[in-house]
Amino acid sequence: MSIKVRDITKKFGRFTALEQVSLDINDGQLVALLGPSGCGKTTLLRIIAGLEFPDCGSIQFDGRDITDQTARERQVGFVFQHYALFRHLTVFENVAFGLRVRPRAARSNDSEIRAKVKELLALIQLENQAQRYPSQLSGGQRQRVALARALAVQPKVLLLDEPFGALDAKVRLELRRWLRRLHDEVHITSVFVTHDQEEALEVADRVAVMNRGQIEQVGSPDEVYDSPATPFVFDFLGSVNIFHGRVESAGVEAGTVKLSGPGHEHAFSRTQIATYVRPHELEIKRERNGDSSSVPATVVQVHKVGPLVRVELRGEDTKDIIRAEISRAVFQELALQPGDRVFVKALTERRFESDSPR
Amino acid sequence: MPPSSKPEHAAISAISEPAVVRWLLIAAAVLFLGIFLLFPLGVVFGTALQKGFAFYFHTFRDPDTISAIRLTLIAAGIAVPLNLIFGVSAAWLIGKFQFVGKGLLITLIDLPFSVSPVVSGLIYVLLFGLQGVLGPWFIDHDIRIVFAVPGIVLATIFVTFPFIARELLPMMQAQGNDEEEAALTLGASGWQTFRKVTLPNVKWALLYGVILCNARAMGEFGAVSVVSGHIRGLTDTMPLHVEILYNDYQFVAAFAVASLLALLALATLAIKSIVEWKSGRRLKDEPLYGRGAQA
Repeated sequence: MSIKVRDITKKFGRFTALEQVSLDINDGQLVALLGPSGCGKTTLLRIIAGLEFPDCGSIQFDGRDITDQTARERQVGFVFQHYALFRHLTVFENVAFGLRVRPRAARSNDSEIRAKVKELLALIQLENQAQRYPSQLSGGQRQRVALARALAVQPKVLLLDEPFGALDAKVRLELRRWLRRLHDEVHITSVFVTHDQEEALEVADRVAVMNRGQIEQVGSPDEVYDSPATPFVFDFLGSVNIFHGRVESAGVEAGTVKLSGPGHEHAFSRTQIATYVRPHELEIKRERNGDSSSVPATVVQVHKVGPLVRVELRGEDTKDIIRAEISRAVFQELALQPGDRVFVKALTERRFESDSPR
Repeated sequence: MPPSSKPEHAAISAISEPAVVRWLLIAAAVLFLGIFLLFPLGVVFGTALQKGFAFYFHTFRDPDTISAIRLTLIAAGIAVPLNLIFGVSAAWLIGKFQFVGKGLLITLIDLPFSVSPVVSGLIYVLLFGLQGVLGPWFIDHDIRIVFAVPGIVLATIFVTFPFIARELLPMMQAQGNDEEEAALTLGASGWQTFRKVTLPNVKWALLYGVILCNARAMGEFGAVSVVSGHIRGLTDTMPLHVEILYNDYQFVAAFAVASLLALLALATLAIKSIVEWKSGRRLKDEPLYGRGAQA
């Protein structure tokens, strides 16, 4: 089922959680709402679910306006951040809940319900835990029960609020891949909220990046990562070095180094420009070799993080800290030590006009 | 304190006191408990059984005593169910919904706790008494409220009004709305959600509240005393009857009735401990449930 969000505004007292938000979600897609805490992503999800109602704007499911329908009428599956399992019911009864509360006419008989629940428990690989209580399960197991419970009523839309937020790193990784596989099997239109860019980029078909109650960019993971529409998106999707400079007719002055390349010809003269470069898109060299686009810098610190090495440098001209990420192999080849003088070059970069120089 | 050579020992002793202090504190507590609780309890039962079991049971064959016991049961039998309904609805409303005037409602629920029971009783005399605001109308229609059973029931309801709501409220607030919202998205109606999710989650707190409410309803003296009029065999509850018997120098009979109230208190304590133990065990089962890792 497709979802259309149109001009949704929601205020809590004086705080504007969402302002004129519109979003289209196609049938069968898995969409991530990505943003920092307080950006309104959970509010948007709850409004789609019918757990919260917008001040203005509308929601359509398959072109039908359902803005005034309650959560019960919308038939959505909702998975809560803290699972919200019924603590007094067993795993089995948790999953069966949605089937048992149906009006008598629509309710399946007991043996059908049992069969359905067994099938779902098999799907989440918890057949053996059916008679346990939620408190006896691990976080990852609880989350899977919550998912099975939501799927039991055959919802038209599956909504997940920070589904992996409360889990530890390893379980998160496993569970999100499992969710992706599950989605590929079931093909139910799904929206999930996350503040973890890696999670969004890995799992989702499309990512909506949100900030301060608005959607900054919607696109495929590649689109938002490779061509971020705004500085915020660039910044939020990974760590970044920002160089500030001015456009001097036909070349950007970043610090004292001219970063040349396409993309700034149409910029107005003397506009303040911020150049964004990701740490892994920086190249470190021992020699300049006549390359005028590289910046002299001094190695300040070296952190080895698994296969990566994070190198902190200080630009000689601007005295700004530059962060670079290189592979362990490159690091060993360069044999970097704190205090070494090197040259740093941006392999790719993106520029945004900035209002004020920092 | 000098640093200990054994770190694990230091960790224990850092928060405990020297043995002498501990024993002194324990002795003080036991002494206090003995003088103010156990000794009086002993006196109650001792005096009640002074003339032997036969006399003890004979006391309960007195029609006035039987009527007092019956009236106490009636008052509690009406007050507790009503306050159960009220307490659950109030706690549900306050714990699960946002609305204007919530603070005021909480204050109002607490009112009977902060008002002296005598004043609580007086309110009904002023309302329904001969010179009261509504009194003359009721008397014209031959309905007696003050100095009759309805007044006693009303006063009991008023005094025991906060017990159940107050027990449920913190629990309902702590549990939040997640499970209810989950039930709604799964297609449950409001009533189904309440019956299948909200109520089972607070059942121990509810039972606890009912026990406390019942104990107070049966034991209430002040408020009931004001509205009762002390008509023997008609408007005497057990606590009032104890006073009357005592004033009549029927010490043994007075203590015999008092011993019933004491037994009720002991039974209440026992049930309360069982409930606490049961619900405590449930809580221990789920130390991190849901709220452990707030992002």
